Amino acid sequence: MGHIAVGMSGGVDSAVAASILVEKGYDVEGLFMKNWEEDSEYCNAEEDYKDALQVCDTLGIPLRSVNFAKEYWERVFQNFLDEYRSGRTPNPDILCNTEIKFKEFLHYAQDLGADKIATGHYVRSKEVAGKVQLLKGLDPGKDQSYFLYGLNQEQICSALFPIGDLEKPNVRDRAEKLGFDIFDKKDSTGICFIGERDFKEFLQQYIPAQPGIIVTSSGTKVGDHDGLMYYTLGQRKGLGIGGGHGDGEGAWYVLDKDLENNELIVGQGHDHAGLYQKRLTASDLHWISGEAPNNENLKAKIRYRAQDAICRITELNNTEISIEFEEPRFAIAPGQSVVFYSENICLGGAIIDKAFN
Amino acid sequence: MYYFDHSATTPVHSDVLDLMHSIQKDVYGNPSSVHSQGRKARLLIETARKQVAKAIGTIPNQIIFTSGGTEANNQVFWSLLNQNNIHVVSDTIEHPAILKVLSEMETHGIDYDLVTVNKNGRISIADIESEIQENTGLISIMLANNEMGTIQPIKEIVALAHENNILVHSDAVQCMGKMPVDVNDLGVDYLSLSAHKFYGPKGIGILYFKNKDSLSSLMIGGGQEKGLRAGTENIASIAGMGLAAELVTNQLDHHIKELASFEAHFKSELKTIFPNAIFNGDANNKLPGLVCVSFPGYRSDILMAKLDRANLAVSSGSACGSGNVKPSRVLSEMGVDDETNISTLRFSFGASNTSEQVDLLLFELKTILTD
Repeated sequence: MGHIAVGMSGGVDSAVAASILVEKGYDVEGLFMKNWEEDSEYCNAEEDYKDALQVCDTLGIPLRSVNFAKEYWERVFQNFLDEYRSGRTPNPDILCNTEIKFKEFLHYAQDLGADKIATGHYVRSKEVAGKVQLLKGLDPGKDQSYFLYGLNQEQICSALFPIGDLEKPNVRDRAEKLGFDIFDKKDSTGICFIGERDFKEFLQQYIPAQPGIIVTSSGTKVGDHDGLMYYTLGQRKGLGIGGGHGDGEGAWYVLDKDLENNELIVGQGHDHAGLYQKRLTASDLHWISGEAPNNENLKAKIRYRAQDAICRITELNNTEISIEFEEPRFAIAPGQSVVFYSENICLGGAIIDKAFN
Repeated sequence: MYYFDHSATTPVHSDVLDLMHSIQKDVYGNPSSVHSQGRKARLLIETARKQVAKAIGTIPNQIIFTSGGTEANNQVFWSLLNQNNIHVVSDTIEHPAILKVLSEMETHGIDYDLVTVNKNGRISIADIESEIQENTGLISIMLANNEMGTIQPIKEIVALAHENNILVHSDAVQCMGKMPVDVNDLGVDYLSLSAHKFYGPKGIGILYFKNKDSLSSLMIGGGQEKGLRAGTENIASIAGMGLAAELVTNQLDHHIKELASFEAHFKSELKTIFPNAIFNGDANNKLPGLVCVSFPGYRSDILMAKLDRANLAVSSGSACGSGNVKPSRVLSEMGVDDETNISTLRFSFGASNTSEQVDLLLFELKTILTD
């Protein structure tokens, strides 16, 4: 059996992933990764480390730790800030997987002599005709393939995903039976380094806010905004548009951002036509198999929690792609990734630049 | 598992274990009781006090039992609060059980200055002299450092301090069994020891003091230990420490010779295996058997993990709890650059080792370093 380094976050998923490998007889060691230097009430690496240690002690495996805060800062966080500066809505967790977990962490594990790494992601991998496929996790509510579309063949081959065929309640059950203190630890939500803290306050520390006005698509001022970077397309909450504007019916939604004039463009009602687009272009294109798929059975997700929707490729080169959905999609946000699927197979993806009709 | 981390802690000597076991089983009396069980317990404690006193060249009256080195250090420092001269001189490579106490005490009005060390980790008398102020009441310098084993010129420091009516404390937890620890010879006013560093149990140590008048108790209660450390005594551990102190000092020459020979063999072989190895510390003033080596081009966390996988226990000075592989503060203070710093491992040999084990360690290192 091989020597596996399991990325331990202190959460229940990686804990159960490690336990499964131990049960199967692998030579397992835990590896705790610290990617963010600050320790605060929002981001408590010390607590997470202790949780991971309790799990590893229970399993009788060593836990080592490694710090990639510098790499994370340079390669993930700077990109995150750049994207916000450009008025986009980035997804740093995707970049963290390709730049940190499946690059730096993988290399570190290999330096330790590990044959493979393992993570607590809800995905599966399968070898078909000399290539590996990345499959959705079996639990439809937890599938994390969206975050891993940037992996290549070598990275997937170097990794095991032991909980990909489990459902979350089952994972928690196992954790409880194994005596892990963290069996009922809350799932982490949102961007890891922001945690539960106020997003605006966090971003303000790094990017100066430029307040401006909120206008309707016809140019009528309906309010003021604190800075375009705080809003994302399709956002409804926190716009602060008072009564007396519009037709008095239906909530206000962010339709677009006018960076040049520093204006936030809004419209009323979830059905507002400006919220729906059929087409998009995206760049930084990556195919897991190394090759573009054909349009047969092609579906795409435009954000993590979106449904896969039928689409077809209209233009394609090595780095860019244009697609058209069969049905218009709600609030396609530049900076998010469009991720392609054929049934359960995650094919790859790209970062959205523009949506239109 | 082969253990080369004796500076972190040592395995308990089997005679000590036997003694402690029989005490836990048979002697349950409270040493404060007047009946025979109490007398039995008291006798064990006083025997241990004599053993430890003899081991460090003093009389039993000048020793109290504490929970270990950390507590002993704390007691000396916190006692300063009741005194007039509240300035302390210490140094930058002390254990956190000194440095963190000082920084905490600053909020209580204590003032302190730290002297730096040279590239070998040695403190200069002149540096200490220049930090002495009118209200300096204490100089605290470790007898030898835990990371690279450099021994400090305590006798000279004591001479300087006493000329200026300043008391001297020395944290000597690393030293028992590796060098003579004679409080009269050293001349110190306070000295801290911890049993688990010399084949005794964990959770027990001593504070030596020349004069009890300047000490206050951290633990207030039943008045045990001359009123300087309240709480029912940990009889088995105290007796275990007494025996451990006796055993290790009776065998001191033998221990030193053995440790020196492990060290010499290890160093010379390592130089052949890995000519770039850098040996840190003061070659002329160091504890035997403690070898602090930098492996330029390697990372200590990876080397340590590989040795751990081969069932060989060593350690590194870099703190690495929750993903904070940070350079060792001690090595940084010696001017070691960060890259070299995080490539450094500490091998500390001890009585549980054999020369075959040292060879096995060398073999594994060779495999790892030439992989």
